[in-house]
Amino acid sequence: MATEYVKYVDVTKCDGCRACMVACKNWNDLPAEPQDFLGTMQSHANVTADTWNVLTFVEHENSKGNLDYLFRHSSCFHCTDAACEKVCPENAISYTDKGMVVVDQDTCVGCGYCVQNCPFDVIQLKNYKDENGKEYRKAHKCTMCTDRLDEGLQPACVTTCHTGAMEFGEKDDIIRKAEKRVNEIKERYPNAMVYNPQGVGGTHTIYVLAEKPSVYGLPENPKVPTSAVLWKDYAQPIGKAMVGGVAMALAGAFVANKFFDKKNGGHEEDGGGNRE
Amino acid sequence: MTNHWNDLQHTDVCMIIGANPAENHPISFRWLLKARERGGKIISVDPRFTRSSSQADIYSPLRSGTDIAFIGGMIHYAIENNLFHKEYVAKYTNASFIVKESFKFNDGLFSGFDEGTSSYDKTQWAFETDKEGNPLKDEKLENPRSVFQLMKKHYSRYDADTVSTVTGAPKEDYVKICELFCSTGQVGKAGTIMYAMGTTQHTVGTQNVRSYAMLQLLLGNIGLPGGGVNALRGESNVQGSTDFALLWGDLPGYLGAPKAIPEHATLKAFLEKETPKSGYWINKPKFYVSLLKAWYGPNATKNNEFAYQMLPKGNKNYSHISLFNAMYKGELEGAFLFGQNPVVGGPNAGKEKESLSNLKWMVAVDLWETETSSFWQKEAGSDPSKIATEVFLLPASASFEKEGSITNSSRWMQYRWKAIDSRGEAKADLEIIHVLATKIKALYKNENTPAAQPIKALHWEYGHGDHPDIDIVCKEINGYDYNTGKQVVGFGALMDDGSTCSGNWIYSGFYPEEGNNRSKARDSKNTDGGTNFLNWSYAWPANRRILYNRASADPSGKPWSSERAVISWDRAQKKWVGNDIPDFVPTKAPTDEGGINPFIMLGDGVGGMYAPTLNDGPFPEHYEPFESPIPNVFSSVEMNPTVKVWDGEFNKKGNNKDFPIVATTYRVSEHWQSGSMTRNQEWLSELVPHMYVEMSEELAKEKGIKNKDKIVVSSARGDVTAYAMVTKRFKPYKLKGGTIHHIGMPWHFGYKGYATGDTANRLTPHIGDANTMIPEYKAFLCNVRRAD
Repeated sequence: MATEYVKYVDVTKCDGCRACMVACKNWNDLPAEPQDFLGTMQSHANVTADTWNVLTFVEHENSKGNLDYLFRHSSCFHCTDAACEKVCPENAISYTDKGMVVVDQDTCVGCGYCVQNCPFDVIQLKNYKDENGKEYRKAHKCTMCTDRLDEGLQPACVTTCHTGAMEFGEKDDIIRKAEKRVNEIKERYPNAMVYNPQGVGGTHTIYVLAEKPSVYGLPENPKVPTSAVLWKDYAQPIGKAMVGGVAMALAGAFVANKFFDKKNGGHEEDGGGNRE
Repeated sequence: MTNHWNDLQHTDVCMIIGANPAENHPISFRWLLKARERGGKIISVDPRFTRSSSQADIYSPLRSGTDIAFIGGMIHYAIENNLFHKEYVAKYTNASFIVKESFKFNDGLFSGFDEGTSSYDKTQWAFETDKEGNPLKDEKLENPRSVFQLMKKHYSRYDADTVSTVTGAPKEDYVKICELFCSTGQVGKAGTIMYAMGTTQHTVGTQNVRSYAMLQLLLGNIGLPGGGVNALRGESNVQGSTDFALLWGDLPGYLGAPKAIPEHATLKAFLEKETPKSGYWINKPKFYVSLLKAWYGPNATKNNEFAYQMLPKGNKNYSHISLFNAMYKGELEGAFLFGQNPVVGGPNAGKEKESLSNLKWMVAVDLWETETSSFWQKEAGSDPSKIATEVFLLPASASFEKEGSITNSSRWMQYRWKAIDSRGEAKADLEIIHVLATKIKALYKNENTPAAQPIKALHWEYGHGDHPDIDIVCKEINGYDYNTGKQVVGFGALMDDGSTCSGNWIYSGFYPEEGNNRSKARDSKNTDGGTNFLNWSYAWPANRRILYNRASADPSGKPWSSERAVISWDRAQKKWVGNDIPDFVPTKAPTDEGGINPFIMLGDGVGGMYAPTLNDGPFPEHYEPFESPIPNVFSSVEMNPTVKVWDGEFNKKGNNKDFPIVATTYRVSEHWQSGSMTRNQEWLSELVPHMYVEMSEELAKEKGIKNKDKIVVSSARGDVTAYAMVTKRFKPYKLKGGTIHHIGMPWHFGYKGYATGDTANRLTPHIGDANTMIPEYKAFLCNVRRAD
């Protein structure tokens, strides 16, 4: 892999303006999807197939008894060991040379295993109809503006961020910067931390959080489900070698159903969706 | 702004009051967060905990409408604890001036009040003067009749306990804020105040701003980087439109509009009456005559008073509120509404909508059909068969579809180029005005009535056809020598003999003959002036970035501190030098007459700690809003006594029994003003798609309201239905007399566009400030209940 790049999100510098949300829709040409009133300033409960980043708003009484109004730019983490990539029976999900996790829209069959196994709930399906009225689905999520990166530009959300809460840069530099920043803000935010969970091999969106991950609705210790590791790293390669690609794809569908379809009573392995 | 956006990065302490810049002026936070990196602190004072508060070091709640109590207490704190900048106060303000014995203050009233006219005889507030008319002074600030001692006495009533029971600010937080902000009274420190419509939209709006200015003068914070009193304008070009006389009482460049009174009967009489005897305004005749020359061209001659008689003169109040009252009574025949949506944005908007149906005709110029241009439709709740108003909608070009300049809060005139063509028949405002002017002139061409005179006299030569040549307009604004046709270098070259013209003297110099249109300057690399960016755009006046910057240096001309230097007197070169254009005569030495008078626009050359010119008193005094939950703690005078109270249907008043809850209105990042632009934009509408009302958990519990419930908010004027947003960010207020609840809501909504909802301004009163008539949108009484 070439040099690894990451998006840096320092939530303590975010003022919640949501320009990142509009910039994303603008660059990626995503339609608006008005929501019901959620009871807070937050516009969407979660990221969706058409809303790839959502600014979350949390009113939190901190350990000193003071009110904190916490904002977080929430979108795909681009895990180093991405569960979505592992569970995809069609190999539609892959890593770019910069470390970003992307979905090949031509290969995706809309099975939804990626949705069910993402520890962060940041990939979703969209329904489409073809010209014959037949319904089909595709998985969508933040691409880290891979098309912009290829042209030497930064992600649209980063470019538009006016407070400098978001940056894009080489992974090692960003991790150093994040650690330094946490030291600077410890007095004001005693629970401040760098969020770069190792259970998924680290991520390509690295956060400076003001509070514990659970305050933001994030898993404290997300992991790639064991079943996904077994499938991708052992069963699938061996199977392919033995019976050939096409047959394995069919077998894959069967195995995937067994292992990853959580909705229909599949295994709830460690990691995914662990919320405290 | 006395300073500018980028300059916020230099502040040691920023107090945000009456504003919520993280949400309404987000770009300011780019600079405030830089200030924080340097160790700067942020104070947020607001009725509710906002996104700005989330970034603050200290937050304090403030009941809407109690700024003067809050700031009065800070003035008291600074004086009592000796934290003010003594030399600055003594030399650079009128604190040392002696006030006549006739000035008195008793139980909420200053001397000279006439109950019959609800106005003051301001001559009773005058300074003692010597035979030549110069004010008598005591620079030791000890004379009991000095402004300083009178101010000290006035605000001695504003102790922290009293302030706390009036404003609802917890005493502990309040004292911390006083301590932190007043620490900027030290030499070498600078504090800034950022404010917006939360400050101005009150019956005491002008005095609210005055109180900030006094505090800043007291702490020596005016004229310095990171200091100042900084108005965050509510629209991208409010500064520009105000400069160009959007307000009815002024002509461009704040020149003052003449009235139909004997003192204004001739140009000579007008200028004699309205030109101060000292200060830079002694040049007013030059600016006035140059303006008349710009408007009337060859038709303005020495022999006809430069066409002064062509100017409209009237003695009424022509503010928004007055116009709609007149409309309601059927006194107006027609109205032009350029980008105005009073059915959403006007005070007591329900009644303003009714008023529109009394017009014979109305022309709306807008990007979309708004709630106002469609006020007569069934969808608006109207019966079209009963409305005779003829309505025209002229489609307007959006900012990206036209060329021109806007002036931001920093006073930067920034040119903008056209990006795309307009759709359909849409035209730029300038084109619409141009076509109107030429057509109207043609209609009156052969008429010799008095009404035809001013129209015929108007010199309108901006090119042929429907599209005016904007460069000609720019050159005229800058001004030129009428004989040679060459553009002047600046307002210093303007004359009162008709040999020059200038459409707006304060902008004169942005487009000199030698050089380019400086509003097009975009050099951020050649940073003459450091973070003052002197080569980026053009700041009026004379490209000065920090106003009153003479005050950054001590009387001898040396900066008070090297960290806060702007300009200093260079003895060898015999001129002021530094990183900004001096806001002073560049060659006037500190030892020259007036050499230590930094406030050149004021007659006395010093800052006005005491302002005997305002309608409601020389010192800001706390009065309750038109509708208030508690009696005035400071005096028996409840409301600002000089406010014009409109009676009758248009301004029903609610009492605190039926309407015990304080309400305020505000804006969100995602919507703009009455929402006619943003509610028609899908990506913005999806972010804030619904009308909501924010309230505390305690109030919700009391009223049996759950988060997300539909609720009804009612005031004496009307009611609105909205979603309840129950939040920890609003808390009950502990005031003298008990606990009071406070709610707030955005005022962007109407029934058009993608994001729809009830209009908050159906609740707001039709009453305005005693000096400016800006409506009191920000504090009124209401009640809430569940909708079902």
